[in-house]
Amino acid sequence: MIAAAAWVCLLSPLAAVLAIALGGNRLPRRTAGYLATGSTAVSFVAAVAALIATLGHTASHRQTVSTAFGLIETNAFKINLNLLVDPLSLVMMLVVSGVGSLIIAYSIGYMKGEDEERRYFAYIAFFVFSMLLLVESANFFLLLVGWGLVGLSSYLLIGFWQERPSAIAAAKKAFIINAVGDSAMALALFLLIQHTHTLDFGGVFNQAAALGANTWLINLVAAGLLVGALAKSAQIPLHTWLPDAMEGPTPVSALIHAATMVTAGVYLIVRTHPLFEQAPHVQQTAAGLGAATLLAAGAIALVQTDIKRVIAYSTMSQIGYMFLAAGIGAYSAAMFHLVTHAFFKALLFLAAGVIIHALGGEQDMRKMGGLRKRMPRTYIAMLIGTGALVGIPPLAGFFSKDAILATAVSGGAYGKVLFAAGIAGVLLTALYSFRLIFLVFSGEESELVRKSMAKHRGGEGPRWMMVPVATLALLAVVGGWIQIAGLWHPFSSFLDAVAPAFGAEPSAAREWLLSAVSLGVVLGGLWIAWAIYSAHSQKAPRTPAVLVEKLYFDRAYDLAFYRPAVWLAQRLGSWFERPVIERSGDEIGLGALIGGRFSAAIQNGLARSYVLLVAAGVSVIVLLFLVLR
Amino acid sequence: MLGPAIAWYLVVGGAIFAIGAAGVMLRRNPLIMLLSLELMLNGANLVLIAFARRHGSLDGQVFALAVMAVAAAEVVVGLGLVVAMARRKIELDVDLLSRLRK
Amino acid sequence: MWIVWFAAAGACVGSAVAVVALRNALFSALALIGNLISLAVFYLLLSAEFAAAAQVLIYAGAVMVMFLFVIAYVGWDLDIAWTGGPSWQTLGGVVAAAALLAELVVVIVLGAANDLRHANHVSVNFGDPASIGRIFLSNHLLAFEVISIVLLVAAIGGVILGTQRRRERTGGIR
Repeated sequence: MIAAAAWVCLLSPLAAVLAIALGGNRLPRRTAGYLATGSTAVSFVAAVAALIATLGHTASHRQTVSTAFGLIETNAFKINLNLLVDPLSLVMMLVVSGVGSLIIAYSIGYMKGEDEERRYFAYIAFFVFSMLLLVESANFFLLLVGWGLVGLSSYLLIGFWQERPSAIAAAKKAFIINAVGDSAMALALFLLIQHTHTLDFGGVFNQAAALGANTWLINLVAAGLLVGALAKSAQIPLHTWLPDAMEGPTPVSALIHAATMVTAGVYLIVRTHPLFEQAPHVQQTAAGLGAATLLAAGAIALVQTDIKRVIAYSTMSQIGYMFLAAGIGAYSAAMFHLVTHAFFKALLFLAAGVIIHALGGEQDMRKMGGLRKRMPRTYIAMLIGTGALVGIPPLAGFFSKDAILATAVSGGAYGKVLFAAGIAGVLLTALYSFRLIFLVFSGEESELVRKSMAKHRGGEGPRWMMVPVATLALLAVVGGWIQIAGLWHPFSSFLDAVAPAFGAEPSAAREWLLSAVSLGVVLGGLWIAWAIYSAHSQKAPRTPAVLVEKLYFDRAYDLAFYRPAVWLAQRLGSWFERPVIERSGDEIGLGALIGGRFSAAIQNGLARSYVLLVAAGVSVIVLLFLVLR
Repeated sequence: MLGPAIAWYLVVGGAIFAIGAAGVMLRRNPLIMLLSLELMLNGANLVLIAFARRHGSLDGQVFALAVMAVAAAEVVVGLGLVVAMARRKIELDVDLLSRLRK
Repeated sequence: MWIVWFAAAGACVGSAVAVVALRNALFSALALIGNLISLAVFYLLLSAEFAAAAQVLIYAGAVMVMFLFVIAYVGWDLDIAWTGGPSWQTLGGVVAAAALLAELVVVIVLGAANDLRHANHVSVNFGDPASIGRIFLSNHLLAFEVISIVLLVAAIGGVILGTQRRRERTGGIR
């Protein structure tokens, strides 16, 4: 029963992809959208069914593995096509299919009238399939397959508007950086195969202690996995692709680059936590990088002018929180934040999409202003999202973020450093989030707003767009109530079977104290933001060059990697490719001509010459016989 | 009664064969070419008969007689061609008959 | 024995070269007759009496006479070029023939050590007509018949080749 649900959940979006691809132009555009949405909804229903069935089992028996057939079978080593349904994968399945179906439904309204609607829906359904494969796989091999396919879907969807060179460049950048991560992961998997002779999760984790005895080995494996996670989740230093990925359509940004794909790195670390626990240095590095990212991204978000880029940096920052949590062993806290983040980040992106749609494609916040009166429902949605993001009770982010901070502060000296970073991050989050709200919604209506609103009749957006936004807003409100510190914790007990917390557990009192502190910080940030950014302020805020240049990461990578590669390619082209390869094509032709001319000379029509040729041939053959005897 | 070893006879037979081959390849007069062809056949005959003596079996001589008969038949046809060429006043130069080129 | 052998061998090879090298077709044909007769001597040395007789009677006697007839009819035109053709033909011909000869000699020399040293003992009746006839009519009967057909075909062919002119003159098949 669970197995069947898992397979239905996985294959339903794939069926939609095939249907749309085979239908081609004969398929009406709307139908492509309905197929994609419907299939993802079916996946969600299947995931819910699997959840209910799994809850029927006792806590220690909640793991189901379902095997389809063997993929690679050798004497020493076997990989099967098998799926795993356990609490961790269920959480991810529900998030991916649930939030995914809402976002795809939203796309029906957002992408209406696009030239290539069907291609979009095929790609996005393919993405859902790949992500589900990633989270449902029961061995590292399928996880890597899903990992790669997700990267591919991201590339296809970022570059969806193929006419835009900036979109194509962004897609390439995302893919290349992800390829770096994929290679590191593959190397780690090779090491695993060599030493454990299996890639099944169960098999590998059972041998984790044995692997841990060899410190070099386990550190390399964990480092490889970490690099893969860093690339996929856009953490420092492999983060530069995420802001550029905003070139894709807004629903894509919501689904892939906020709610699901970028969280795959967090999922990976939580899933492979037995390995990370054996390599504590790597795990602490993960936490440190998460902290660094959350600070850096928060700071850069302060000077962004594009509304989607602000939200993108916000995503980067929040995932930093999740990495921080996973790095200190607070796995269920990390997953909890993943779930709530999916809700409110998708909400923010979709609401921003409504605004962009209403303003005819404009994304520059400096040209916006005063939308509060014109788009009240969107305003409320964005407020809810922002409140959830910064952590205002009783909205979702409050509960999840504070769990992370509390665990950090309980964890020794390093933990206190992380905690400091986390609190600073809370301040930054409040600053840039409310900056966005003030710039976009408050004050007087800008020129652009006036013109766009005049063209609009009636509601703020089509129904297909507003309903998912409303649903997500509701989820952002109630989503956090599944885990309230000290009172009830069904979420963490659900996950404990798979990923028990590692390290110190904070007490309930401490958690509440910290919540109060962070709430204070949030309100302080709100007040500062109001002072600087709202319409009442007089002076324009400063924008240091360092932040505008995104901490010079892009420039550094350009100098270190891109320019040498281009130089090398050009040198190879002129030294090798043109003289050797292209000319050899010509020379082969010349050779054929010369050979032909030679052969023609033999055909002179004289019988005597033919006799000569026969005699010559016979003597050669006899010679060969003599020599080879 | 034999004289030299069989090998010597074979060398002579081979020499006649090779000289005949050279003649076929070098001369342009069709009559001379036919004569050279006869030389080659005779060389082969000598080899056959030498081996017949070596093995004490008459099969080689039988083969040689067959070769002689076939050579005679072939000469008939060849000379008939030459006579036909001469009747039509075609010049007796093999190199001028190069229709095989096409 | 050896004297006879060497004399015959010298005549053989010398006449062979003469066949190929002489300009006058008549002299070439006469040289070939000399070659055939020296070969007959060889056959006698090899106890192939019937073959020797056939060689002289049929080959030298009938075939070469035919040749001489035709040469007489056609004429031994001394103006025809000795050799020529493409530049590689002459040299190539010589080289190929020399190569064939060399290879043959090598093979024979290689085999001379073992195989060709002894000859089997043969009876007095080895090469005489009775034995040959017996074999032709028993073991090699098929060859015998086929040869006769070949000769028949050749005769018919000769007649056809020779009567072309008469048909043309009368204009039609008689």
